[in-house]
Amino acid sequence: MRSLHALTGALAAGLFLACAAAAIGAAPITPTRDDEVIEVLPASAGERGEDRQLRKRLAARPDDAKLATAVARRYLEQARESGDPRFAGLALAALRAWPDANVAPDEVLLLRATLEQYLHEFDAAVAHLRLLLARPGSERQSQAWLTLATVLRVQGRYAESDAACRAIAAAEVYQSACLAENAALRGETAAARRSFETMLAARGVPAPTRGWLTTSLAELEERDGRVAAADAAYRNVLRLGPDTYAAIAYADFLIGQRRPAEALAVLKDEARTDTVVLRLAIAGTLARSATAARDVAEMRERIALANERPEASIFHGREQAMFALVVERDPERALALARGDVARQREPLDLLVFAQAARASGRRDAIEEARRLKASIGLHDRRIDALL
Amino acid sequence: MPCSDALRALVAVALLVGTGIAGAHKASDSYLQVTAAPGQLDVRWDIALRDLDVALDLDSDADGKLTWGEVRAAWPRIEAYALRRLAIEGCPLAAVGRGLERRNDGAYAVLLLRSSCTLAEGAPRISYGLFADVDPTHRGIAKVQRAGQQIALSVLEPSAGMTSAERTSVTAASGVAAASSPATSPADARSPTTSAHSRWEFLLEGVRHILTGYDHVLFLLCLLIPSVMRRAPGGWQPVERLGQAVWPVVGIVSAFTVAHSITLGLAALKLVSLTPAFIEPAIAATIVLAAFDNVLPIFPVRRVVVTFFFGLIHGFGFAGVLAELNLPRADFAWALLQFNLGLEVGQLVIVAVATSVLFGVRRWRGYAKVVIGAGSAVAMAIGVVWLIERIGNVSILPF
Repeated sequence: MRSLHALTGALAAGLFLACAAAAIGAAPITPTRDDEVIEVLPASAGERGEDRQLRKRLAARPDDAKLATAVARRYLEQARESGDPRFAGLALAALRAWPDANVAPDEVLLLRATLEQYLHEFDAAVAHLRLLLARPGSERQSQAWLTLATVLRVQGRYAESDAACRAIAAAEVYQSACLAENAALRGETAAARRSFETMLAARGVPAPTRGWLTTSLAELEERDGRVAAADAAYRNVLRLGPDTYAAIAYADFLIGQRRPAEALAVLKDEARTDTVVLRLAIAGTLARSATAARDVAEMRERIALANERPEASIFHGREQAMFALVVERDPERALALARGDVARQREPLDLLVFAQAARASGRRDAIEEARRLKASIGLHDRRIDALL
Repeated sequence: MPCSDALRALVAVALLVGTGIAGAHKASDSYLQVTAAPGQLDVRWDIALRDLDVALDLDSDADGKLTWGEVRAAWPRIEAYALRRLAIEGCPLAAVGRGLERRNDGAYAVLLLRSSCTLAEGAPRISYGLFADVDPTHRGIAKVQRAGQQIALSVLEPSAGMTSAERTSVTAASGVAAASSPATSPADARSPTTSAHSRWEFLLEGVRHILTGYDHVLFLLCLLIPSVMRRAPGGWQPVERLGQAVWPVVGIVSAFTVAHSITLGLAALKLVSLTPAFIEPAIAATIVLAAFDNVLPIFPVRRVVVTFFFGLIHGFGFAGVLAELNLPRADFAWALLQFNLGLEVGQLVIVAVATSVLFGVRRWRGYAKVVIGAGSAVAMAIGVVWLIERIGNVSILPF
């Protein structure tokens, strides 16, 4: 009897602890005091009061283009920094006084196209940029041409992207970088490498420019199969200072090289955006790290939440395909997601994931489909060649 | 859902606790759960506080933190803002309750709306304009459940048309905000969420809650099952007279009643507050322990005493429902009394029926084995599953 009581005691204590633990992760919030904090708002770009004042001023004069673009640009910066798509929505709202693109001022139209690019609405972005660039006197809008070249490149339309690159004022480093990037994607590797190295050797190149030029060089070497050169270039970028894009690209490179533990180390200080958590989950799974279960569970949760919107699996097709392929080990689903993804965006990583999913599914028609797509774009990528 | 899945979900939830949940990034969504029955339409609408802050500046001291005080003070504005941006054809909506919910991407305001209408057949025509002026990428994710039908899911795009139409009507007749959401008038600013209640509504709510609160019923049944038997040296023996069964039942029921009335009162008066995340699993635990005690006596004290302690826990559960009902402040004591009386009436019905049935079959030879043994085992199993569901916040059983 005594032991039974001990057992009951233990059972009750266990249940109590379990209940108490559940209380921490509880769904309903039942505040008891007025000063209880129930939500911490996302960090503001500047003073929080300033944000609010800008919103108020814009509400009073919604058609003040200068003010509207200032507010929108501020939110776009926040979206890029935090990876939080809500800010892109707020930025679009700041431009709502011009629903008709035909009569929107130049700077409003450019910003709208940039936001569409951020939201992966590439066709809309291209249409708006072309509309803007067709206006008289706007031929010299380098920023618009550069954005257009970038969007067309993401869509795998390299020849059209070249044309946009050439329209950028020739004196700017952007023009040569823009053209070198396309050349590298097409496999004109030696020329592109020389071009990047010349630009980097020039004096007085500001650190951010140096950063993205070196990243482009690293990606070039990676696609060309020069592992040591790519590795060195990525490490050069990250030595310049924190760079989320480069950190993710390097992590993908390390995962591809079966060095997942190093990928985890590269990402350890990055903010936990969706793209970062995805890589942590993948690298953690491959490295069998202690934190893998947590990151996998979190990523699965985020995907489930995002997919409450039916179109989400299209917008985040690449990421969801990567997760399905490596973590869920579901090649059929990965293939379906990757196929939906390459219908919209065709960066090397999109095609690589498609090829990986096709190979993992073992379906000849899918492999053939990936091969044809790669050929039609004219992409040079030895990683993909090895799969097809 | 197989149990392994439930356990995996449970582990996942447990692992999520304490990680950077706040870093979850998704687009802005609100969640509408529409439940349509003949003559009544209920809507539960979850809206992210951070989205509301952009539209309404909830953070009155601009320190980047939303306190309960700030949200509470802004609640009438939240309701007025939201109600002007949602219309379900043929069903004028009024706010009847409120709450807060933590989701993966932050805290959400929960608006409970109701209409005494019958939703027309076919796809419901919902006009949605939430955040049309703040974030055009926002969407409303609506789940519509009609009685006896499958849930229909739809994604609502905020249409500026609706908001602007509403805006015109607001400017045309000032004070229309109060008209479009009857719950919100300046005088009622502190407790914005009551609609007209009939005189005995809370008595009926009390009855309804205990009759449909399967966990309370199951707990009572666990206590009642052995009451028509007594433990004898050779095992369970049926009692001779009804009186021998009635007195223990009266004792147990009284202990349960007194106990849950105490905690219900304390919680309703806001003197004591325990989170449902603790109470709900604890209620499930009381079922498991009570059922287990039927098979193998484990309590070191008399059943009446145990019942009393467990009754304290169930009282907090009742209080949770009471909070959802949002009792009118003016007649608070009256409503509370009604609700409690309703609980007791419902409880008496259950006890009377159960005791009569059990008394009738007590001499059956299989009583000890089947009714006490297997019945308690089933109750224990259900209790354990509830426990898992409530700790893990997952859904396994359909009730």
